[in-house]
Amino acid sequence: MLEISDLSRRFGGPGGRTVLDHVSLGLAAGSYVAIVGESGVGKSTLLNLVAGLDRPDGGRVVVDGIDLTALDDEGLTRWRRDHLGFVFQAFHVLPHLDLLANVALPLWLQGRRGRDADAAAAAMLDAVGLAGREHGWPAELSGGELQRVAIARALVHRPRLVLADEPTGNLDPARAGSILALLRERVREVGAIGILVTHSSEAAATADRVLMLRSTGLEPAS
Amino acid sequence: MGRGGLRMLWLIAALALALAGAAEATDYAPVTPGRPLVFPADAGAHPEHRIEWWYVTGWLEDDDGNPRGFQLTFFRLRTGIGEDRPGRFSPAQLISGHAALSDPALGRLRHAEKSARASGRLAGATAGHLQAWIGDWRLEAQDDGAIIARAAGDGFAFDLRLAPSRAPTLNGDAGFSRKGPRPEHASYYYSVSGLAASGRLTLDGRATTVRGVAWLDHEWSSEYLPEGAVGWDWVGLNFDDGGALMAARIRQSDGSALWRFGTLRSAHGTTRELPPDAISFEALRHWRSPASGVNYPVSWRLDVGDFALVLEPLMDDQELDGRASTGAIYWEGAVRALRDGQPVARGYLELTGYGGRLRLGEGSPGR
Amino acid sequence: MRRGLAAVFVGGLLRRRAASALSVLAIALGVALGLAVQLINDAALAEFGRGMRTLAGDADLRLAGPASGFDDALFEAVALHPLVADASPVVDIEARVVGGDTTLRVLGVDVLRLPAVQPGLVPRADDGTADAPFAGFSQHGIFLSPALAGRLARAAGEALVLQSSAGPLRLEVIGSVPGVAGQAVAVMDIHAVQHAFAMAGRLSRIDLRLIPGATPEAASRALAALLPAGVVAMTPQASLARDAGLSRAYRVNLTMLAVIALVCGGFLVFSTQALSVARRRAEFAFLRAIGLGRRRLAAWLLGEGAVLGLAGGLLGCALGTGFAALVLDGFGGDLGAGYFAGIAPALDASPAAMLAFVALGVLAGVAGAWLPARRAGAISPAAALKAAAGDPLAAAPGWRWPGPLCLVLATAACLMPPLAGIPVGGYLAVALLLAGGVLSLGRLARLVAASCPAVPLPLGLARARLQAAPGQAAVAAAGVLASSALAIAMAVMVASFRDSVDQWLGKVLPAEVYVRAARGSPALQLTPSVQQRLAALPGVARVDFRRHDQLNLDARIAPVSLLARPLSADGRELPLVGEHIVAADPVWISEALVDLLGLAPGDGLDVPLAGRAHRFTVAGVWRDYVRQGGALMVPLARYRELSGDQLANDAAIHLAPGHNAADLGAAIDEAFPAIDLEVVSPGEIRRRSLRLFDRSFAVTYLLEAAAVLIGLAGIAASFAAMAAARRREFGMLRHLGLGRRQIAAMIAAEGGLTAASGALGGALVGGAIALVLVEVVNRQSFHWSMDYRVPWLSLSLFVVALVALAALAAVLAGRLAMSGSAVRAVSEDW
Repeated sequence: MLEISDLSRRFGGPGGRTVLDHVSLGLAAGSYVAIVGESGVGKSTLLNLVAGLDRPDGGRVVVDGIDLTALDDEGLTRWRRDHLGFVFQAFHVLPHLDLLANVALPLWLQGRRGRDADAAAAAMLDAVGLAGREHGWPAELSGGELQRVAIARALVHRPRLVLADEPTGNLDPARAGSILALLRERVREVGAIGILVTHSSEAAATADRVLMLRSTGLEPAS
Repeated sequence: MGRGGLRMLWLIAALALALAGAAEATDYAPVTPGRPLVFPADAGAHPEHRIEWWYVTGWLEDDDGNPRGFQLTFFRLRTGIGEDRPGRFSPAQLISGHAALSDPALGRLRHAEKSARASGRLAGATAGHLQAWIGDWRLEAQDDGAIIARAAGDGFAFDLRLAPSRAPTLNGDAGFSRKGPRPEHASYYYSVSGLAASGRLTLDGRATTVRGVAWLDHEWSSEYLPEGAVGWDWVGLNFDDGGALMAARIRQSDGSALWRFGTLRSAHGTTRELPPDAISFEALRHWRSPASGVNYPVSWRLDVGDFALVLEPLMDDQELDGRASTGAIYWEGAVRALRDGQPVARGYLELTGYGGRLRLGEGSPGR
Repeated sequence: MRRGLAAVFVGGLLRRRAASALSVLAIALGVALGLAVQLINDAALAEFGRGMRTLAGDADLRLAGPASGFDDALFEAVALHPLVADASPVVDIEARVVGGDTTLRVLGVDVLRLPAVQPGLVPRADDGTADAPFAGFSQHGIFLSPALAGRLARAAGEALVLQSSAGPLRLEVIGSVPGVAGQAVAVMDIHAVQHAFAMAGRLSRIDLRLIPGATPEAASRALAALLPAGVVAMTPQASLARDAGLSRAYRVNLTMLAVIALVCGGFLVFSTQALSVARRRAEFAFLRAIGLGRRRLAAWLLGEGAVLGLAGGLLGCALGTGFAALVLDGFGGDLGAGYFAGIAPALDASPAAMLAFVALGVLAGVAGAWLPARRAGAISPAAALKAAAGDPLAAAPGWRWPGPLCLVLATAACLMPPLAGIPVGGYLAVALLLAGGVLSLGRLARLVAASCPAVPLPLGLARARLQAAPGQAAVAAAGVLASSALAIAMAVMVASFRDSVDQWLGKVLPAEVYVRAARGSPALQLTPSVQQRLAALPGVARVDFRRHDQLNLDARIAPVSLLARPLSADGRELPLVGEHIVAADPVWISEALVDLLGLAPGDGLDVPLAGRAHRFTVAGVWRDYVRQGGALMVPLARYRELSGDQLANDAAIHLAPGHNAADLGAAIDEAFPAIDLEVVSPGEIRRRSLRLFDRSFAVTYLLEAAAVLIGLAGIAASFAAMAAARRREFGMLRHLGLGRRQIAAMIAAEGGLTAASGALGGALVGGAIALVLVEVVNRQSFHWSMDYRVPWLSLSLFVVALVALAALAAVLAGRLAMSGSAVRAVSEDW
């Protein structure tokens, strides 16, 4: 359960630019929504606030009863480690780790090591269609394959919330479709809330619900 | 020439020195017959001779009647080294002291030794009258004729006054004492028997007054032992009746005597040189040292022609194992003499050459 | 490696192989040099101490006199003193081997008195030699310690001819001194030594064993009344500490140089880690986003530094131990400086020292990674995630710490007095100057950039970048600054020293010809008859005879040299420094005695001559670069009058007009065939002295070269990292129409400007450090002053070469990093 209430964020101090103004949103477990909007409207800012990477000037973000705005930096870090999955436009797959290690990274951060973690990561690689590639290197992969690795990594620790920021922004349209489908399928499978931020309507169409972010707030897209 | 491991050691040292050529250029005074001994001048040192010693041995009794033997020796050696250049550290004359105490309560000897270059108050031997010293050890005749004998070692010290009761006994031919078949093997040698000893003996810090009877030997020479000598047996005895006996034999490697000599002083004071044939040593009992394994004949039958004596040691273990320091191992200690089973004399017995041929070992100066 | 987060971080080190290797190497170099110096010193000191202890043996107390000895009548009184159990007399002289430049230490001993006091010195006669039984008393035999026998290549039975006071003395080697294996000493009979080496009736010292229960203090007090002036009683430990103290300053100096090399290594770790952190900003942001804590991230980065430090430390340990073994083998324990002549130390690789230096390496690595790790921890993930690959420009640390504060503190530190003879304040000032210099680098880089012309375009671009991001230059140039500061400081110090020594030699060597009997040895002297005949030789206009001795002025300080020579009332022949007065009974003291005894002109000074103390007045202070322990100078006539000693050690000859030195040398050889007189020209002495000087500083040149290499490596590593991170920028510039050459020129300009900042800073800091070395460190360590001199030409060449090399390194590193793919890189992430 994700509850966003009256979330506001301004940049540049008093008299600065207001990016988010009293935005509210509630999402039940298992929801998979897309958030679309113009460039600069604050999509990434919203995502950062939901991820606890940034702090709002007003309002609250509550996930499964935990008020993120009340957590300190340490608490947020721990919360992200345990409950959040990320998929980025630029993949951020670490080049000096093999695929299995890249996927297992969130488990390592939780202190889970060894066979158990490796098995979970291998299963996840299998699930994203990279079975048998555990010991391959990121440099050997195409962009689409890199994003599959990133999806596996985002879900390997069964997070409550998965955030994807333009996951297909760096991919050609042919690959984008299958990646989006994969993401949606896997998020559903772990029962997490999925939030897909994109400016592509094709991408948005893969979600259950599409929300348009405007300066006035979140509205269902027409 | 007399007794004693240390003496033999020094003789061999002198021999080695001579053979080494270090002393070749040195003009040592010879030992010749017919030179009269004059006292007290001849009681002092004779630095022109190569080697010289003063040897005091005796029996002491404390107030409780416990008997002990003591020994104090001063050696002087003219090395022939560095005589051309005087100096406080000249090695031309070396002085060595040796002191020992036989205590049946301990069951073995206590002994100590010192060596130094003759130099000022540190060590020396005076010519003209009896005076020898090294550190705080001292052997010195006083104006009244009494001799002071003072020495100290680990756990023992003695400070004695030795009062003479008679004139020195000249050994051999009026002091010319032959040591072998050839006349150059000889020394000047006299003994003072019947010295009345009194003074203090300190054992492990406890001082007691003691008295007893002692014997002084004084001998000097420039020559060494005859070839073939491997050791000797020597005894000097003070008879209770005032008589005295010195008897010795120099042994060859087969155990036979190479040379024998002796002097007998009667209770009345008459002295005569014993003919070699009259002297016979016969071992009665042996004692094997548990420390060194050497087998010593510690009990003897001594025949001097007129009579025979049985020599019994004050205690069996009077061995001096100096193999680590001086290189010599020998037996030297207090003995009783019995005649017809009755004790008649007390003296000192010295047995050398039983632990293998005496050899200049690792511990000699400079080694 | 075990799979886990370690793979993320330490694995990253493997990815950045070149930079990591450089960091490891830099630390390894510092550790190796430090450890080598430490091990060499330890070995030398241990052997020195062992030797001193062997020579002292079981002695409880030592009575030591001047080098010319004291009356041996003292021995009897001391040996018979009730508190003394055993006494052993020693005559300690230096003898020269005839027909060579070799000198050896000969101890004249009484073998009968050795065993109780100095059992280690008891000689062992070789059975094959003639004198065996009484060898210890032999007047023509000599025993050599194994080390000396090896050095002289003499076996038992062979001859050894020494220069004695009466001409060549032919000795036979008759055995060895097995107890002093590592010491190069010879043992002879004391009587023989006294007579052969002009020490008749004299002793150098007496070693004592006291009776049980007597303390050295009580015995010293009791014996004091017996001792003539100039003979002091001290425990062998005190004597050891006193003599070891002489070389301590030298040893600490070397260690400090090594530590500075290590600091340079730390700076290199800093440079590479700072750049690596900048490059990995996005990576860190991502890790932070998926739940890696701030502190954990910083800890892992410190771990990277620690791994670099550990690797460097271990490698350095291996290198240092090998280097130490090599040096000990080839040069001896003092790196050729002469403090431990006559001992052959063996390497003893102590685990404690190794562990300490590995720890220092780790510390350097962690310290270098500290700031970058803190910066990484402060990265805002939200912002950093957007920029896919970070430009170090944005992440370079901003230097706001006040550099000037460090400079002020450095000045204050210079005013500190030495602690236990070690110029702690001076070293602190050096560290503060380095820190202050590095902290001011950003400002300096901006100044350097501002002074650079804006055209042509590549230069302009480089200038703009430096001005916009001086912090980045600071990172890249920190190593250059540290290393060039070290190099320049040493260069200035050595130049000042060498120049001062050169001038000083000119002042102390005014005559045309010098004749000496034996260097530094009282054993061989010019007797009055030799003196007269020398003065009468044709061509001699004037002869100044000189007499040397070593005196015990004070039990707390090492023996002091006494020099007697003809002097004017105002001492104008001496290289005087500071104020001086004209005194009735003058003595001129060297600078060391000002520091050691707190004396000043006008003060009285009791000098023990021939066993009696005479009160002189300090008339002035002279500079002496030879006798670190201090020296006194008195007029020869006065010395002879007070001591009765008419001998001389050497003679300074002024030639009559129309004569030359070569003819006089030949005449001297002819006149004294039996005496091995050494005839030298001041030019020869000067050459020899300067050669010795250069040799003892050779090791510092090595350190400098190492430091400069480290600095250059830093520039190369920085630019390789930067070029990799800026591929898109370069690609964009290529898109805009900049040629390959122009980009190379831009990188070169950036490299040059960065290096110039570092070198400029290094020159300023180095100059200041040199001032500290000259005025504080040398003054307090060695007690001598020198004139500050900057070798402008060679330093300018050095800086220009450094900047050029840095530019070249930058270009090469840049080219390697962006080989070919620059254009493609633009589209990669866009």
